Amino acid sequence: MTFIQGWHPVALSVSIEPGSSAGTHIGGQELVVWRDNSGVAHVWEDRCPHRGMKLSFGFVRGDHIACLYHGWQYDIAGQCRYVPAHPNLEVPATIKVPVFRTVEAAGMIWTSADADAGSPAAAGTADETVPVRSLYVDCDADELIAALKADLPAPFKGKSTATIAQLGDDLFRVATGDDTLLLGLQRLEDERAALHIVIAGPAASYAGAGQAHFLAWATALRGRLEQPAMTWPAHQAEAV
Amino acid sequence: MVPIETVRMRFTGRFAPDSFAAFANRRAERLDLGLALETGNPSLFDVTVSGQPDLIDAFEMACSLGPMDCLVLDCERATLHSGYMENRNR
Repeated sequence: MTFIQGWHPVALSVSIEPGSSAGTHIGGQELVVWRDNSGVAHVWEDRCPHRGMKLSFGFVRGDHIACLYHGWQYDIAGQCRYVPAHPNLEVPATIKVPVFRTVEAAGMIWTSADADAGSPAAAGTADETVPVRSLYVDCDADELIAALKADLPAPFKGKSTATIAQLGDDLFRVATGDDTLLLGLQRLEDERAALHIVIAGPAASYAGAGQAHFLAWATALRGRLEQPAMTWPAHQAEAV
Repeated sequence: MVPIETVRMRFTGRFAPDSFAAFANRRAERLDLGLALETGNPSLFDVTVSGQPDLIDAFEMACSLGPMDCLVLDCERATLHSGYMENRNR
């Protein structure tokens, strides 16, 4: 896939704390997701322009992120502002990291390389969310969604049968009993995908037992997907 | 005010000329340097580069490492001009 159009989830909001960074992928494109000390999330190309080191290994300093390798510091626009080995250097505007649009919605961090993309489909879907987990699975995204549709969760509250709706390219809503889950699909690589799962609802209703209920379902879903298919060796198959 | 220099560099070694020229152009662009490629052949490259001294040093270092298909054995440099200019980033 290409990381050009639309909005794509890259993490649960709670997973990226202020002053921290993490590396991830979309369609093989390496990205750093980081949150400055004022709480604003950023998604950039995960590569220092100096020597190519991953910025996700770097350190957040206020509203700058510093490369682990030689300490070059970049402001929130991706512009290099400080080179420790040359403290008096007026860093040219050409030394800049490609940055992507970043929005937080439905308890997830979304990014887009498309300057004309409107708001992500997740915007306005939930006033309050409770995080469940990010589920990383060794299979392609289509296989993950097919498994999800075949194995929807039992409700935490209520009794009605689960249904699933696709709200956007990478956003799904599961209604089960009285509960609603929002799931952001991240297409990491050809054979690797992730689901960022949140409960739409107040923490007072779902924190603790509700989270544990859906966490158990998600973990079991991954187990079934990654479990090798049961096959019989040829000589045993004949005997059977 | 920002210090600037104009420096002439002569790289000697074994070059794939198109490859080295493209490499030098990309590095100069990244470092916001002015670059004039004056002579380029399989054994020698003469260039004139202008900009902040620290960035000129970085350019020399990058080109001394060079692209995979070139081997730089030596670099001689001579400063043609030094002075100051207004900071364009402000």
